[in-house]
Amino acid sequence: MTAFPAPATRARGPEAAQALAAELSKLVSLPATWLTLGGTLVVNLILAMAFTIAGLHGSTGTKSATDIGLASISYAQAGFVILGVLAACSEYTGGQIRTTLIAMPRRALQLTAKHLTLAIVVLPAAAITAASGVALAAGVLGDTATPVTSGHVAAALSGVTAYLALTTLISASVGALVRQTLAAVVIVLGYFFIAGPLLRDHTPAAKYLPDSAGFAMWFPVADNASAVTPAQGALLLMAWTTGLIVVVMLLYRRRDT
Amino acid sequence: MRALAAEAWKLASLPTVWIATAVGVLVPSVIAGITASATLGAITRGAGTVPGVDTGYQELAFGVVGAIILGVVGISSEYFTESEESGGGRQITTSLTVVPSRLRFLLTKISAIAIAAALLAIIAAATTMGVVRVVLGAHALTLGADDVPRLVGVVCYWVYTALLAFGITVLTRHGVIPLAVLIANTSVVTVTYLLTKITPLANYLPDMAGVRMFIRKLADNTVEISPLTGGLVMTAWVAVLLVIAAIAFTRRDA
Amino acid sequence: MNVITIDDLVKRRGSKEILAGISFQARPGRVTGFLGPNGAGKSSTLRILLGLDRATSGTALIDSVPFVQLRDPLATVGAMLDGSGAHRARTGRAHLRWVARSAGLHRARVDEVLEIVGLTNAASKRVGSYSLGMGRRLGLATALLGDPEILILDEPVNGLDPDGIRWIRTFLRERAASGRTVLLSSHLMGELAETVDDVVVINEGRVVADGTLDEVVGAHRTLEDAFFALTTSGAP
Repeated sequence: MTAFPAPATRARGPEAAQALAAELSKLVSLPATWLTLGGTLVVNLILAMAFTIAGLHGSTGTKSATDIGLASISYAQAGFVILGVLAACSEYTGGQIRTTLIAMPRRALQLTAKHLTLAIVVLPAAAITAASGVALAAGVLGDTATPVTSGHVAAALSGVTAYLALTTLISASVGALVRQTLAAVVIVLGYFFIAGPLLRDHTPAAKYLPDSAGFAMWFPVADNASAVTPAQGALLLMAWTTGLIVVVMLLYRRRDT
Repeated sequence: MRALAAEAWKLASLPTVWIATAVGVLVPSVIAGITASATLGAITRGAGTVPGVDTGYQELAFGVVGAIILGVVGISSEYFTESEESGGGRQITTSLTVVPSRLRFLLTKISAIAIAAALLAIIAAATTMGVVRVVLGAHALTLGADDVPRLVGVVCYWVYTALLAFGITVLTRHGVIPLAVLIANTSVVTVTYLLTKITPLANYLPDMAGVRMFIRKLADNTVEISPLTGGLVMTAWVAVLLVIAAIAFTRRDA
Repeated sequence: MNVITIDDLVKRRGSKEILAGISFQARPGRVTGFLGPNGAGKSSTLRILLGLDRATSGTALIDSVPFVQLRDPLATVGAMLDGSGAHRARTGRAHLRWVARSAGLHRARVDEVLEIVGLTNAASKRVGSYSLGMGRRLGLATALLGDPEILILDEPVNGLDPDGIRWIRTFLRERAASGRTVLLSSHLMGELAETVDDVVVINEGRVVADGTLDEVVGAHRTLEDAFFALTTSGAP
């Protein structure tokens, strides 16, 4: 761009806060947000119940209420994937993206606000979903459960919460990239449920991919010197998420909408 | 016939249908390639392994995700648009003006999806089995008369799964939920498989029963269901779901 | 102040040239009509002006600043493109609220604009249940939220009933009379002739006429005749 008269830019502070307020307002006024979060919570509880019953039959190989209560998360994460994709792709319904970019023309700021908002909404929802599953398992198993320290429970729960939040952000980035709900859902779920697990079985390097690295944050991995530790997993998944958001940002800034 | 041609054309003009085709063919053949070369490695190392009876078939059970996408987008595209232009351009209104009878519209749609899923299954099965043969070479099990009913089973399974996806989407009118549920359940360890750990009745859920048509050895499973019974159970599920979908579709506002 | 200046705007998509050097101005205190047949490049010009699309070359400025650099976009420019610009699952009020928040506007302003466009009674209904005309009214309400100095409207009368058309005509005249800038595109000549002061006619990505209504109508009987004379021959 050549020399335009110095644009009087609004102070970053209020503009960023307003973008955040607008994005938050968008997310909470979308019925799909609440339906997805509520549906995920219910489905997770049902699956957690199923795992717990299987645990009572002794077919889970563990008696830890934390492990059994969190086992369902690997399925319930589909709900968080959907939420992320919907948050991103809902912009493309009814031409809303034009309203968004006319109201908030600084695209990098708007997209950052959108991801930040999503994290703000998802973190408590993920914590509640994960904790309710563990509470259910602990309640049903009662004294038959293997005792675990509260430190272990807290570590597992915070790992799951962070994992689900990052997964949601990855899904939102893919949604923003693809701009079509169904295609984005197919890509992300296909990766997390089909391609990821199969790669994990066949290629050692797959442990650094987002899904395996993320699992390491909360899923008990066999003791193995080369295994990814929870902290490393968290760093890897954060790096993947940030990298993806940066790529999306670069494309989003230049793209005709 | 003209309505069927129109529906077939509608399907072929959806980009997502071509994604479904690519997924349906690539997923099983690539995985089959990877597992077959692992098996070959074990054989040449002299580990005494032989290719399992389900080589190729196992992978085709994952490839069904292509049929799922096909069934979902085949109908969700009628309801849901993400076009840049003014929202709400729902194709269903146009479709029902062209074919006023709802039931006939639905039947035509079902036929188009069933035919497309069958074609996809045949291509995917041929590619996957071809890949296995090429990779394993002389070590591959020869396809015999036994395999004919099994391959027919694969095609049936894919067609039925596409129709299940279709039926659920007619009820939800939006593709995301059926897509999520069905893809999550195509995972390496499926939810329905886990349910069989709780109750043997779960073996009669559509996918668990349906895979018996072509899978001979289910891991850690003691309940024996013959291929024919499995097929019939899945047929019953699909039939019931489609009847419910048809009732809902003909009774409600478009 | 409040001048829109389009200067030698070129837009290519692949090998297709959509805009081949568009230049014109829209001035305050006047309603400028931006005319052309479908596919002439009206919407592309407006989208570039609003920072939605990027120009291959040339500039589109608002008070000599590109839209994306405006300090307070909503209070400077109100824009309505085709459709409602709202997600079908949200209520009309919820849609206006998030837009208001993006500019730090008070929520009372939402009710004001709903009142102005006559959507107060439908504000709690989902946008998906709106008629075409109601969607347009919501789009207009969004454009008016920041009480902007400049209004940019793409085909504003599309989908409006006769009442709505008369209302918008009066409304736009009042905006211009109070010294603000109004730029509207249309392919409906009859509606436009009674609303605009200045006319820019484009065809196949080029400006074929630019001037006051009288200048452009010239020797022709009506604006419509002038329009067809200008656009069907391909050259002025």
